[in-house]
Amino acid sequence: MKTARKSAKRNAKRVHVISRKDQWAVKKEGTTRASRIYANKQAAVKGAKKIASNDWDVIVHRKDGSIDKWSKPEK
Amino acid sequence: MSRGGKKSPTNVFINCPFDDDYIPLLRPLLFTVVCAGYDPRIASERFDSGEARISKIVELISKSSLSIHDLSRIKAQEKDEVFRLNMPFELGLDMGYRLSKRGAAKRCCLILEKEPYTYQQALSDLSGSDIKSHNNDPENLVLEVRNWFVQTGDKNIPSGTQIWSFFNEFMADFYQDRQREGFREKDLEMMPVAEFINFIRRWLHERSCR
Repeated sequence: MKTARKSAKRNAKRVHVISRKDQWAVKKEGTTRASRIYANKQAAVKGAKKIASNDWDVIVHRKDGSIDKWSKPEK
Repeated sequence: MSRGGKKSPTNVFINCPFDDDYIPLLRPLLFTVVCAGYDPRIASERFDSGEARISKIVELISKSSLSIHDLSRIKAQEKDEVFRLNMPFELGLDMGYRLSKRGAAKRCCLILEKEPYTYQQALSDLSGSDIKSHNNDPENLVLEVRNWFVQTGDKNIPSGTQIWSFFNEFMADFYQDRQREGFREKDLEMMPVAEFINFIRRWLHERSCR
């Protein structure tokens, strides 16, 4: 049976803030592990903005995975 | 003539509510099933006003080797609201089919609830059954469903954490791509389940995840 194996690679310049077991993970798209785990969402968003370079999107998710806020780099 | 395709070992019958409140759980549930390499079969996958709902459900059950039943919404939420009996009724149909001669080859089912042991108050016949609870948490739901697939014998599935990350990335692309294609917020909210499943399949294929 075919199953998911590879990590997503199409959008390399995105950082996601994702709910993870009552905490919040900051994860660069295309990587398999979270960059860092935070106790609350606000701290995770701050952390995501820090690790995102100027040309990266920061995508903040709700607990159900839908999009709460999407910050695009300023041009 | 049967319209639901052939019986397949990858078909998973999904018995769950279809109201807006359940969408936050339905989306990751469907994603996990497809990401694990299975085909979700759900009563809302096709719509025909001329088709009796009960016939459709029985057909889906008979063509699925696996089934997932979410009983987390059977309890009335407000005073004077009636119990929701569709989910336990469909679970009963599935159990009956499994016990029949024709259903003997059916492998197994996963029963989900909101909190541990609440189902026993309404459905004590299931007291001896192993039931998992997701606490209304979409991530927990992904982990429970993924672990159940592994326990049914399919070991080649990514971790629950990885599937949850994939799902979040999928949702970002889902919103962005659909809006580019002219879908508005309302279109996304009211999107038919079959169309949503097709987007999941396409995304996993494009990302070489499947």
